[in-house]
Amino acid sequence: MMKTADNFRIKRRLLTAALIAVAVSPAVLVFVSLFVGNYPLSVGEVFGILFSPGSASVTQRVVVWQLRLPRALAAAAVGAALSVAGAAYQGVFRNPLVNPGLLGVSNGAGFGACFAIIFLGGGVFTYFFSFGFALAAVVLAWLAGRVGGRTTTTGLILGGVVISSLFGALISIMKYVADPYSQLPEITFWFMGSFASVNYSHFWAFIPIFAGLTLIFLCRWKINVLSMGDKEAHVLGVNVNLYKLLIVGGATLVTASSVCISGTIGWVGLVMPHIGRMLVGNNNNRLIPVSAALGASFMIIIDCIARSLTSAEIPVGILTAIVGTPFFIYLLKKTKGKQWNDG
Amino acid sequence: MMDNIVKVAELYFSYGHRNVLNGLDFEVPRGQITCLMGQNGCGKTTLTDVITGVNRFRSGEVLLDGCDVRKMRPVDIAKKAAYVPQLHTVTFPYTVRDMVLMGRTAYAGVFGGPKKEDELIAEEAMAKTGILEYADRPYSNLSGGEIKLVLLARALGQSAELIVMDEPTAHLDLRNELKFLEIAADIVKNDGKTILISTHSPSHAFLFERMGAATRAALMKNGKIYASGAPDEVITGESVSEVFGVNAEIIEYTASDGTKEKTISLKDTAK
Repeated sequence: MMKTADNFRIKRRLLTAALIAVAVSPAVLVFVSLFVGNYPLSVGEVFGILFSPGSASVTQRVVVWQLRLPRALAAAAVGAALSVAGAAYQGVFRNPLVNPGLLGVSNGAGFGACFAIIFLGGGVFTYFFSFGFALAAVVLAWLAGRVGGRTTTTGLILGGVVISSLFGALISIMKYVADPYSQLPEITFWFMGSFASVNYSHFWAFIPIFAGLTLIFLCRWKINVLSMGDKEAHVLGVNVNLYKLLIVGGATLVTASSVCISGTIGWVGLVMPHIGRMLVGNNNNRLIPVSAALGASFMIIIDCIARSLTSAEIPVGILTAIVGTPFFIYLLKKTKGKQWNDG
Repeated sequence: MMDNIVKVAELYFSYGHRNVLNGLDFEVPRGQITCLMGQNGCGKTTLTDVITGVNRFRSGEVLLDGCDVRKMRPVDIAKKAAYVPQLHTVTFPYTVRDMVLMGRTAYAGVFGGPKKEDELIAEEAMAKTGILEYADRPYSNLSGGEIKLVLLARALGQSAELIVMDEPTAHLDLRNELKFLEIAADIVKNDGKTILISTHSPSHAFLFERMGAATRAALMKNGKIYASGAPDEVITGESVSEVFGVNAEIIEYTASDGTKEKTISLKDTAK
């Protein structure tokens, strides 16, 4: 008995240490990422640029302050956003296999981006059109799934599936008519996701990300209750429609904003919440903040790899799955899948 | 203080064109166990869902602790009536503690979750149903009987006077069924709770009486209350035969410890 109690205490301490590490890791990684990249800068030079800017050349300062820092911050925001949105969708829709693209956000944003690239020359239009169409797709999915004045979960998911495939078809049309030498590559790269072109002018998208994340964070206990199903949530005292609207709305907002910063990045929103579940269990009170920190850290690491592995930039959307999958399998074996119902 | 925590008058309810409740009148007196019985599909769950505010009804009046349920917010209803569901599938294996804590949601405010005092109330509820030792185990690893005790603890932790139970002992083995009913009788006798329980088994009402809890029986047929009152008067061979469509008899006998007991004997389905 003593032994198990001791083991339990040691486990608790290890978990606490792991949680502290997870909590501070995004800040540490943002700092570390300033030292990583293809432009040759020594550790000493980066410290010089950070702490006595006068000693560095303009180019060196631009590399650190205008390229590496905004990229790291954007990667952190997008990683946190996708991961939290995934956890929130999974809870509210009572399905651990759901990802933030469920309600058509990704394909809606993709169509918006294609449209902007082909007809408006891309650039800043790509951001606004992908954001706008991402939200429009979810509203359409909601309207499509509404039956007799009521929105059921199944209706909403089906609405998301059909609207998603509709925009998928529209994306194909766009690719078909796109100029194969200039526009098609740009579209393809957009779909692979990248932080390469991020700069401070895109930081307006941080406002909806921050707002949505705050909203989900405040409602995180209600996600637990909503995952009991509509009837039980109601009897436990939750205004089901209101909180679904707040949580799904918040998750949609952060997903749409992150897609317009970085293009579509898969995998993170589905898998990061599960890594969080393995660490702290299913209670969203802990899961939501842990997912945010994990997603942010993971995305910064992936972006560092993306920009320094080869002399050409590798799209992050490719790396997320290639780097993340072995890590996920390792954790799955280690925790023996205890956090699933059928485990 | 009114003696009825629930008062239903002239209640009509329909799913589309199918009428389920046809001008039903019903009361749940305080401090008692009311056993609601009737065939599958006779509208028991529809009625309990109306009382907990899940179902919106067409016409009639439903008062919960003197308030019109149609004008109450979910959070207000939850403070007066808790619910123990029949079947429970859970997508994510929360710990038993987290499950019971969800009963405290109505007290958590618009944002935020349960606080320290809520955790104490949840622990008290877990102790009451004897599941404290499983508190940190995943809910999905428990047996059917233990799961029911978790759901009962969640309802107790909700600190509502009324606890509505929808066939809570379906799928339980004999011992677990009895254990659940004993705890139910105990909280009515000792903790001032009122229970509305829908059940298929007419013998539950006799069991509760034997356990010393004030008990009432109500039989439902064709969307109305067929009979209600003291179990002895309501549960007779004729009424059970009529309501369930069977040939049944109530048999009185003297148990080995000398007490007078009643049980139901089923013959066949009525032709």
